[in-house]
Amino acid sequence: MKNKLPIYLSFSFVVLLVLAVLALHLGVYKFSEASLFRLLGSLFDNNSGVSSTDAYIFGKIRMPRVVMAILIGSILAVSGTCLQGVFKNPLATPDLIGVTAGATLMAAIVIVLGAFIRAFIPEFLHFSLISIGAFIGALGSIALVYSISSTDGRTNIVVMLLAGVAISSLGFALVGFMTYLAKDDQLRDLTFWNLGSLGAATWTKNAILLVVMTASYSYLITKGKALNAMMLGEKDAEHLGIRVERIKRMTVLLVALMVGTCVAFSGSIGFVGLIVPYILRLVFKSNYTVILPLSAVWGSILLLGADTISRTLVAPAELPIGILTALMGAPVFIAILIRYKKTM
Amino acid sequence: MVKGHKISYSHRDFHILKSVDVEVEYGDLLIIVGPNGAGKSTLLNILANEISQNKEEIYFKQKRFKEWSVLDLSKNKAKFSQQYSSEIPLPVKDVVLMGRYPYFDSIPKASDLNAIEETMRDSEVWELKDRDYNTLSGGEKQRVHLARVMAQLKNDIVHKLVLLDEPLNNLDVKHQYRILEQMTSFAKRGNTVVTVLHDLNLAAKFATKVLLMHNGKVAACGKPNEVFTSEIISETYGFPCSILPNPLNNQPIILFGN
Repeated sequence: MKNKLPIYLSFSFVVLLVLAVLALHLGVYKFSEASLFRLLGSLFDNNSGVSSTDAYIFGKIRMPRVVMAILIGSILAVSGTCLQGVFKNPLATPDLIGVTAGATLMAAIVIVLGAFIRAFIPEFLHFSLISIGAFIGALGSIALVYSISSTDGRTNIVVMLLAGVAISSLGFALVGFMTYLAKDDQLRDLTFWNLGSLGAATWTKNAILLVVMTASYSYLITKGKALNAMMLGEKDAEHLGIRVERIKRMTVLLVALMVGTCVAFSGSIGFVGLIVPYILRLVFKSNYTVILPLSAVWGSILLLGADTISRTLVAPAELPIGILTALMGAPVFIAILIRYKKTM
Repeated sequence: MVKGHKISYSHRDFHILKSVDVEVEYGDLLIIVGPNGAGKSTLLNILANEISQNKEEIYFKQKRFKEWSVLDLSKNKAKFSQQYSSEIPLPVKDVVLMGRYPYFDSIPKASDLNAIEETMRDSEVWELKDRDYNTLSGGEKQRVHLARVMAQLKNDIVHKLVLLDEPLNNLDVKHQYRILEQMTSFAKRGNTVVTVLHDLNLAAKFATKVLLMHNGKVAACGKPNEVFTSEIISETYGFPCSILPNPLNNQPIILFGN
């Protein structure tokens, strides 16, 4: 009964590191400077001897994108694992219960109507308007879904998923309407949001993602015990000294924040929160003390892998990353349905 | 240990408990008996702080529940519930380890692992430790949860309370006795046990104190031979019964039917 979590975590970090090095080298542009250390050095030192094209592509395009894939993958996977734990069902992920759709919907509204709204809000909020919109959308939809599907603290998962379908269709309709209203440049933004892409990565966005991630993880990542205990039933978890209501509320709030931020920066990339915990459950059962921290690393691995493929498969063009994650996610969705059909 | 005065509880307009007084001391093994719908589980849930009845307060070790910190409370009292979710996709040892959650942060200490081994051996589930919980039979699951609940109270605190809601369901005779013997020795060490049981003969044999409930009220309360008289029992249960002294130890034996 030794605790092997540190070993699993170190192994996962090594995999992520190897993949990150690989991803930095792969791409349409081939660096003339082969040493990764010198390329990394060029991030901080302008006279590092690396050619300026190399330094630009590396520092302004490829590196931010790889970092963003790592951050967003991790955040989406942890959001999925946390929601599954709180709602005690492997299908309760941000995409399937409509949180992503709610965030996308609000982001779309802000993109198209932003010009009108801008006049009415304080100036310092302008540049993060889409993030705030996406967060409000995510929080609103999760609150709506939860209140529809829960009575006396018990959540009916079928109702929850159907409420997700309802919100997603509303989102689809309104995003369609926004597309109709949109001008040309807004249209490009909208398509990007709908299919998801990491192409717009910048260091500023990464910094915001990192802040959101650090803040949320400092609360969530240690809640594995609580999520395990909640499998006994909420009353029994409380007998173990766990503040179930508070943890539920905090989780829902933080997941809305995390998903909202991700949607604002990378559009709706689906299924990461479904695939990663599913695979980890196959190995570690539902032990959240293990799968919660591991999903933070494996989410990065999955999304970084998918993004690298999306950049290289049809080079010099690019596949929308949402297509790749959906290709992996849909079979997992079906597998979960078959496996859990008796207990739904 | 636990003291509750005039406990009432109603759900919508239906009164489940009407002015029930309970008091248990250190070392007591209180068994709550009564016909279906008498309010036994509700009373237990109120004593466990699962539901609150707003008006009268329950005193647990001279303090109200809201004066306790959640974590301290979990080290002083534990509850075994009647219904557990049947789907917990974890190995048995990880389910029992949940009982130690109040004691460690992220990595279980040696003392936690010793505690679960001891209580799993007591409940005879040590051999099942690596089995998937979902593959166990009903009786085995009961014993796993019992090991978990007892692991929660493995500590140096002097007076502890364990509440059990029909812990003997699905169990064979041997394990019924084992568990009640385990509870008796737990109570003898200065702790308190409050349990709901259906089997009156087991209650007569093991209880230091019996609380007989009927329609949300206390029908009788006291030592087994004070409560188990043929008049009280046949009236409460609405079924004829006779009571004989056990030739071996003079404890009452309850026989139902004419």
